[in-house]
Amino acid sequence: MGHVERTDKTLPLNEMMFYVRRDARLRERWNTDLESIAREFGLSREEYEALRDKDVRRLHELGVHQYYVPQILRLFYGASMNTNSHPALEAYKRAYPEETAQAFALVERLERRTRS
Amino acid sequence: MAEIVAALAMTHSPGLTGWFDRAPEEQQRAALRATAEMRERLIAARPDVIVAFSNDHLLNWPINNTPEYTVGIGAEHVGPADWYDEWLGMPTKYRIPGHPDLARFIVNESVRRRLTLAYLRAMEFDDGISVPMHFLNPEGAIPLVPVTMNCTVPPVPTPERAYQVGTILRDVLKAYPGPERIAVIGTGGLSHEPGGPRYFWVDEDFDLWFLDLLKRGDHAALLRECTLEKMEAAGSGGTAELNAWILAMAFTHGPADVLAYMPAVAWRSGTGMVAWNELA
Repeated sequence: MGHVERTDKTLPLNEMMFYVRRDARLRERWNTDLESIAREFGLSREEYEALRDKDVRRLHELGVHQYYVPQILRLFYGASMNTNSHPALEAYKRAYPEETAQAFALVERLERRTRS
Repeated sequence: MAEIVAALAMTHSPGLTGWFDRAPEEQQRAALRATAEMRERLIAARPDVIVAFSNDHLLNWPINNTPEYTVGIGAEHVGPADWYDEWLGMPTKYRIPGHPDLARFIVNESVRRRLTLAYLRAMEFDDGISVPMHFLNPEGAIPLVPVTMNCTVPPVPTPERAYQVGTILRDVLKAYPGPERIAVIGTGGLSHEPGGPRYFWVDEDFDLWFLDLLKRGDHAALLRECTLEKMEAAGSGGTAELNAWILAMAFTHGPADVLAYMPAVAWRSGTGMVAWNELA
């Protein structure tokens, strides 16, 4: 089955993200006090380090729900104008260069189609 | 008894409101044209209430407890949730009246038909409801009953299950003892893989194939051919949002009109709008 099936539903980081997204006070602490938030929610050292390093692949490997990973990146980089050149998306391009190249090949095909 | 007067479906990707102008102009024009036509059809049907089927993006329920379906039973729906407003480019909250009597009826009447629905009196709103309401109900003039499903936390439900739930909810809505004219709207899809390795991927071939199945209007054939495996292959954890379209399809007979399709990499989602003509 698909990538989403790799989610570890019992991972503390997956629980933590639910509360961070709903609690402005937790979000205010994100960029200054992340380690203590991680401690409060019982994250492992590995989870915390992957989070701190904004390591997209590692977060996936640990079983973070894929939908939460861009949200984690938006907490670091901001959420507005989340275009394909936003830093959160640049992190994906670095983590998955082959998949990214395949996706953008479609854009090129469409442009050729439009021109012809 | 209540009556179903319209059935529509559209993509709810955040790019449609958050960074709309980053897509090629022809895609922007197609999206605006198709959503305007949806709105015209909706208004022409004179609905008293919209029942919108979407999916919860882990906003209302934590990952340790994700109900299959949830009904918003509040007297007023306010969104988007704070965490989503900047992302969706919606700095001002919208307010849409609810329809608590119908919403509570849906929950209780479904029990009698062996379908468990969770409910929330104060539901929070992400892109799933906010984006379609922005285009289709911008003044919040038409009351809303939001129904969200889980289609991102494994196990991802199958299209067959969505259709089965749709047939139950169709009977439930039509059994509502009021004169309400009800429009049903499915939101989500088409192909996309939010937050996965193929985050930028749009599967144009899958999308056109799926839309063609809707155009053919043979529900049994669609359910036979459009398996969960095919949806997941076209974009894991996102394409299965089309279960909300399949649920809406259970309120219809025959072919859907495809109003637009855009393989919108800029919005990171296959983007489409459809309307059905014949209601079940």
